Amino acid sequence: MSTQLIESSRPLSLGYATGVRSIFGLEMKQRLRGRAWYIMMAVWFLVIGLVFLLATLTTSATGGAGPFLFDLVVGFVLFFGLLVAPGLSANAINGDRAGGTLAILQITLLTPGQILWGKWLASWVASLGFLALSSPFIFWALALGGVNPLEAVVSLVVLALELGLVCALGVGTSALATRPLFSIVTTYMMVALLGLGTLIAFGLSMTLVMEEDVPVVQSYYNYPPEVQLSQEIPSEEDLVCVTDEITTTVWHTERTAWLLAANPFVIVADAVPYDRAADDLPVGSFNETYRAPGVMESISDQVRLAQAGPDYNVTCAEAQFFGPRSRDIESEPFPIWPLGLALQGGLAAVVLWAGRRKLVTPARRLSQGTRIA
Amino acid sequence: MTNGYGGIIARGIKRSFGSVDAVRSIDFEAPPGEVTALIGPNGSGKTTLLLILASLLAPDAGTLTVGGSDPATDSAAVRRKVGWMPDTLGVWESLKAREILTTVGALYGLTTAAASTRAAELLDAVRLTEYADAPARVLSRGQQQRLSLARALIHDPEVLLLDEPASGLDPGSRVELRIMLRRLAGEGKTIVVSSHVLSELDEIADRAVFVSRGESVKTQTLDEAGSQLRRYCIQAEPMSALADVLSSHGVVFEERGDSRRVEYQVLLSSTEQAAWLLRTLVLANVVVTAFAPAGGALEETYMSLDTERQ
Repeated sequence: MSTQLIESSRPLSLGYATGVRSIFGLEMKQRLRGRAWYIMMAVWFLVIGLVFLLATLTTSATGGAGPFLFDLVVGFVLFFGLLVAPGLSANAINGDRAGGTLAILQITLLTPGQILWGKWLASWVASLGFLALSSPFIFWALALGGVNPLEAVVSLVVLALELGLVCALGVGTSALATRPLFSIVTTYMMVALLGLGTLIAFGLSMTLVMEEDVPVVQSYYNYPPEVQLSQEIPSEEDLVCVTDEITTTVWHTERTAWLLAANPFVIVADAVPYDRAADDLPVGSFNETYRAPGVMESISDQVRLAQAGPDYNVTCAEAQFFGPRSRDIESEPFPIWPLGLALQGGLAAVVLWAGRRKLVTPARRLSQGTRIA
Repeated sequence: MTNGYGGIIARGIKRSFGSVDAVRSIDFEAPPGEVTALIGPNGSGKTTLLLILASLLAPDAGTLTVGGSDPATDSAAVRRKVGWMPDTLGVWESLKAREILTTVGALYGLTTAAASTRAAELLDAVRLTEYADAPARVLSRGQQQRLSLARALIHDPEVLLLDEPASGLDPGSRVELRIMLRRLAGEGKTIVVSSHVLSELDEIADRAVFVSRGESVKTQTLDEAGSQLRRYCIQAEPMSALADVLSSHGVVFEERGDSRRVEYQVLLSSTEQAAWLLRTLVLANVVVTAFAPAGGALEETYMSLDTERQ
């Protein structure tokens, strides 16, 4: 055994990217050699396949199955992705700590940041495997027609970003918590907070943004009193536009709509560039190109409705069933998904930053029950 | 903070975990080119001290230089120089033995070629070459222990910290460990070994630091330990003849009951005195069948410290 192998003149050093890549490689090797990942992928494929098959059967009777199926698959992939990503990421650090391998990494030239980046990248790539596995269904729905390929591409990209953000939450939490079980549950809670908590918070905030006795102008078509009293059958020409000034209760949802932005489903739904112009119909007519919005598009529409806030002036044209969407609103709806990504990214950054502090060595404070090695 | 001294100097190290004082006051010194034993009962703070020396734990108080650098201010410099073998064996179970070494080598900034050459050398040195491509989970505890030692040596560290390196090793591997450590010390490396197996440390260590209840209670070189008062065990056929000669020369002895055969134990101050007694017994026609130190030199010190056992 020669000890001259490492020339002492050159001090050992580890480049930042090299360290991250080494950790990434180490993690991926372990995942690829374990069986758990493959079993989870098989279960995933079966479940998504089943959902897709059932949806195909139910929609085959009606036309325009493509957009509906596409929305459904994207929604389910996001839902299952939110379930899988915490499991893939939230034991990254404390699992190693329990196995005694974390200290072996910490004793090398690795910095806490390199460990976190490497672990996060590995868990993200592992969860992207699930996304890749569901892409056949997405492309199948695409092939059925009616969906703009750009919508599919954007959906996949935003889904990938969402998985990455959840993985970041998981890896950060796993550095903070002592036990894998605790960090996995905590990550699920955070995902639930984003997915359901934002809805609940939005719902509960309704009373806070309620304003009573607001004068609004409401117009509608009605028959004049003399027509109503006469015995003749009224014709459509008799309809007149009636305008009432009334006071009512309005909800300023434009002030709380940002709460919904942090919802993963809202982010994915809102980021997709639907062909919204095609849905705006000319007044009082039936549009040949009209298509029913899918699950995800409905979510986006609802959020934009909330962003708009109360409508103080309903014109007769708007009151019609096939009326235009233009409204006298508090604020103009804008794409809310960048805000959502920023909120989630901020949360992930805070969790990762806190987790990084737990990896700094020489360690000053250790959590109760933690052993370095 | 850097100085030319390559070894370890620690003064007044303290470290507590919550309300538990793991290390209360330890002075520790390990010069280069020597094997320093860290000896103490379970829970005396040995592992905590080694974690502090390895730059993983920060001491609450005290000054520390490892390989000439302070872990608190320049942990990277310390890590380049320190190889650490933990008492808990952390292995990536699905990785091959060779991959574990090359991966860790890469984390120390070795090139792929250098890491794989070094890994092959170390696998050979710890006799794991035939298991080089076996996943680590199939290795026995002793083999994992040897792999852990090879891992600690991958970047050719100047300072080697070994926490219970001999536990789980078969006798042959213990001898090899001893030879390897003596050779590394001969190359000028600083080696710290914590262990319970005191008889073994007798043959490896140049000096010993005794810790008890988080305090360093004694520092001793093996030469000092060898020249202190030691107990010797003597057996003869028949024992009565031995008793007569010992009594006639005024040597105080006691009968020991914890051995399977009856033996007498005497307290002697030096090897010269031991030689004199043996000669006297033989000349008095006592048939001496056994005449040996009751335990290792370090064990003698350990037992005499007595602080932990009441």
